[in-house]
Amino acid sequence: MTTQKISELADGELDGHDAAAAYSALKSGGEPLEAWRRYHLISDAMRDTRLLSDGFAQRLAARLAEEPTVLAPKALIAPARSLPWYVTRVAAGIAAVSFVGFATMSMLDQGGKHRVAQTPKAAAPAVAIVAPAIVPTSESAVDYMQAHQGYSPRNSLQGHVDTRQVQTVSGRIARQP
Amino acid sequence: MKRAIGALLAAVALTGAAHAQAPADGMSLLGRIYQATEKLSYSGIFVYQQGDRVETSRISRIYGPAGELEKIEVLDGPRREILRTRDTIKCYMPESQTIKVERRVDQRAFPAMLPDKFAELVQHYSVSLAEPARIAGYDCESVVLTPRDELRYGYKLWADSVTGMLLRARTFNARGETIDQFSFTQLAIGNVPRERLKPLRSARNWRVEHAPVSPANLAGSGWNLGAELPGFRKIFELSRRLGESRLVNQVVYSDGLAAVSVFIEPLAGRSEAVRPGVSNLGAVNMYTREVANHLVTVVGEAPAASLQRMGNTVEYRRPQ
Repeated sequence: MTTQKISELADGELDGHDAAAAYSALKSGGEPLEAWRRYHLISDAMRDTRLLSDGFAQRLAARLAEEPTVLAPKALIAPARSLPWYVTRVAAGIAAVSFVGFATMSMLDQGGKHRVAQTPKAAAPAVAIVAPAIVPTSESAVDYMQAHQGYSPRNSLQGHVDTRQVQTVSGRIARQP
Repeated sequence: MKRAIGALLAAVALTGAAHAQAPADGMSLLGRIYQATEKLSYSGIFVYQQGDRVETSRISRIYGPAGELEKIEVLDGPRREILRTRDTIKCYMPESQTIKVERRVDQRAFPAMLPDKFAELVQHYSVSLAEPARIAGYDCESVVLTPRDELRYGYKLWADSVTGMLLRARTFNARGETIDQFSFTQLAIGNVPRERLKPLRSARNWRVEHAPVSPANLAGSGWNLGAELPGFRKIFELSRRLGESRLVNQVVYSDGLAAVSVFIEPLAGRSEAVRPGVSNLGAVNMYTREVANHLVTVVGEAPAASLQRMGNTVEYRRPQ
C-alpha cells in the first residue's frame, strides 16, 4: 500500500476495492497508519484545528468493523463529507516530505501568538524542527527530576530513575538523593 | 404503543451495549486492576527495566481498616527504603543516614498506577484487550492503552485473571518500542505480616529532611502557561526549594497515567549556563528554554515533542 493511496483515501477519492484495500492497510498499522495520521495532523494544522475530534479513532474503528469487506459507495461518501477536517491534496503533497510536514505543524502550532521555539542554529534542520537540539543533561536536571518524580503517577519516590547514572555536563556523577 | 416504544428503546440500548462491547472489556479489566491494587494486601519482588538498566525492588503492602501502608526496598545498588502511608512518603537512605519526608500527594505508583477516574482515559487512549500471558506464576489477562495522539506514550498492562492484581506494566512509544517496564517476578497476594513494614530500626537518630512545599499562584505573578496539552490537567501548582536553596515554581499536569512538570526558576544567581533544548533521562524527557530572565524546564514521561509544545506556550507579562 503506497502512501499515495492513503493520501487519496484521506481525500475521499477512493472507492470500492481500492478503498477497502486502503482501509485494511490502515488496520494493519505501520507505515500506512503513520501516513494517515500525518496527513490529518497536517490538515489539522492547516485548518488550525488542534486535534482530531474526540473519539475519532474509535468511530473509524467502529466503521471498519461494520464494513469488513466491501464498502458501498454511499457509505464511503458519507464519512468523507462528515469529516470536519477534510484533507486537501496540497497537505498530502507536503506530507510526502514528512519533516517539512512537521515544520508546518510546529510553526502553525504556535498560532502566531506564542513565541517561536528557540531552536539552536547549529543543529541540523530536520532534528531541530522535530526535537530542538539534544543537549547534555545539566547539573540541575537531577534536582528537577527528583522534584518531578514525587508527583509522577509512575515513578513516585521509588528510585526508579537512578540518578547515580546521570552523567552531568561537567562529567561529575550527580549526587545521590 | 407504549410497549412498542419500550421494546424499541430496549433494542436501541442493547445495540448500544453490543457496540461498546470491545472497549468495555478492556475498561472492565482496567476497573478490576484499579480495585485490586487499591484493596489487596500483597508482597513480592518486581523488576524495573529501562534501556539496559535493571533495578529490583521488594514491595509489601497492607490494606486494612487502619488504612494502607506500603514499603518498598530497593534491592540493587545503595540501600533505599520507601515507606508510604496515605498522607506521607518517607525515604530512608542509610548511606547518608537521612530520612526524606514529603507530604504525599494524590498520585499512585506501580502497581497502583491507574487513576481513580480511569473512565476518562478513553478520551486519550483507545483501550483494547490483548493476548493472555503467564507472569510470575499467575495467568494474566492484558490490556493495551494506545494513545489517540502523539502527545503521550502507550501502555500495556497485564493483570492476574483471578484477582485483577497488576503483574506487569510496559510503556511504549509511537514506534512500539519499549520505553520502560515494571514486572513482578514473585508475588504473594493475601496476608502480609505487619513486622515486614516496620522502618529501619537503626534510623532513629538519622537526619530528617522535610521537603518544603507551599501552594503558589503563577498566573497572579504574571506567568501564563498558555494552552495545556490536550488531556493533561493541572493537578498541582506549588513553590518549593530545589537543591541547596533555589526557589522554584512547579506546575504539574497529568492525563492520569503520565505527568509533566513545568518548572520556572529565576536565572539570576545561577552559576550554570542555560542550554536550551531537549535532553533525555531514561524514560523521562526534559525541555529547557529561557523566558523573561527565567529558566523554564519541562520534565515528564512524555514524548519530547509534547514537552516542547508545552514549554513553548509559557509567557510572562508583568502584572498590572
